This record gives sequence, C-alpha cells and structure tokens, in this order.
Amino acid sequence: MASILKVDTITGVATAGSIAVTGEGNSTTTNLQQGLAKGWLNFDATGTVEARDSFNVSSMIDSATGQFGCNISNNMNNANPMAMYDANGSSDGYNLTSGETLGGNGPRAAIVFQTASQFKFHVYNDSYIDGNHNNVGIWGDLA
Amino acid sequence: MAGKIVADQLEHSTAGTVDTQFVVNGSAKVLCTFNGTASGATVRTSFNVSSTDDDSTGQYGVNFTNAMSGTEFTPTGSNIGDSTTSLRTLGIVAGLNANTSSSINFATTEADGTGAYVDWTHVNTVVHGDLA
Repeated sequence: MASILKVDTITGVATAGSIAVTGEGNSTTTNLQQGLAKGWLNFDATGTVEARDSFNVSSMIDSATGQFGCNISNNMNNANPMAMYDANGSSDGYNLTSGETLGGNGPRAAIVFQTASQFKFHVYNDSYIDGNHNNVGIWGDLA
Repeated sequence: MAGKIVADQLEHSTAGTVDTQFVVNGSAKVLCTFNGTASGATVRTSFNVSSTDDDSTGQYGVNFTNAMSGTEFTPTGSNIGDSTTSLRTLGIVAGLNANTSSSINFATTEADGTGAYVDWTHVNTVVHGDLA
C-alpha cells in the first residue's frame, strides 16, 4: 500500500538543514538538501524578457540584447553557487546548441556574473542575440 | 535520536504532491565548482566530492566520496571565465575519459574553434544518476 507523508516542512533532527536519503542501491545515503536544485528558470527573451516557469526566481533583468539576468527570492549562502545556462532557438529559429557552431564567433551561452542573489547570462552569435528558449539551473547551499 | 520515515509520496499543503522516487532519483548526487586556474583545481563548493585532480592545463578529475552504482550516470558541466561581463572567456566542458563509478574526468576548452585546453576560473559539474 502506498504511503503519503503530508507535511509543509521537513527538518533534520541532529542538524535542521541536513536530512539523509537512502540511495538507489541501498548501500549509502545522499544529502537531501545538498542534492536539490535551489533554482531553475525557463525564459523567453525575444520580446519582453519574462519567465515561462521558474523556481526561487523573484525577477528578471534585461540589460540589453542577448544580456539577461535574474534575481532569486531566497539567497544562496555565498557567491559561489553552481549555475548552468543554455539557450536555443532565437527569434529567427536558429539553434544555438548546434555543435557545428561552437567554433569561431559561433553561438555561446554562459553565465557571466553571479552573486549570492543575482545571476547574469549572455548569449552570443557573432553579436548578442535574444533566444526564445533560455534555461538556467542553480545548485549549492542556501543561506 | 535520528528517525527514519518510509513514504512513497510527500504532500505539501499548497505546493502539491511528489513521489519520493523523484526525491531519490532526481537529486544531484555530486556537485563541484572549482577554480581551474589555481594549482590543484581549488574547490569553491562541493557535495559528495572527496578530491579533485588537476591533471594538466584544462584537464581535471572529480572523485566521489560515495560511489555511483555503475558508470552510466549523467555528468554535465559548464564554466565561467571570470566574474566580469566579458564574453572573452566562454568555453566548453567536455568528457575526457570514461566515467568510473567513483570519478569523472573532463576537459575545458576554448570556444574559438581551436579546441585548445584552457584553465577557466569557474568550472562547474553536476552528476545525476544512481548511487551504489
């Protein structure tokens, strides 16, 4: 019979922010808090830069064509979280993730700046461009 | 005293319900962000990482504390050249050698088409898959 645990908050006993979860192979455990993504974002930059869907993102930043950012709701505990960004599908349908375009001045998408509360991303294909599918993932420790 | 809860689902009062299999299977099992320009690939933040290897310019290893169940897990990576808004340092993270159950080995390269190995200041990798 399936069991359902109904709770709004899960807190560790010995350490509030540390809960062990048994791993798939049943021989070790993984840390629940550290393994969870602390933020993610899917946004459209072709018009008004806005999130399609997000988690722990409070607002978007539109600095210029191909230059974006976001602020997060709950800060990380330092300026060294791990964040990844990719973009594809500009307004003209160009696929930025095509492997053949990685050389020269071909498409590049990267996080270029980060603090505990803010991330900035650039996407470039000979010049800065606005892609219509931009994805960001954030991992690390919350404050 | 530590306790143990066995449940198939977690239900939040407003945010919805998730099967606990997504917690177990969906959690990242390894995180590592390190400075590739520093000697020894100095770790900034990590989870389930016992050590890093600085094998050569732009070539690194990340060793796990708790091993994965096999070698068919999913490592992904990215890098940031520096903490400015410059685009000059964008590069590529690519697998260098086959995974083992307790380590990954990869390289960071230029994005200028030369494919040259380069040390970047922020190298990030995350591993999803099954623990042993």
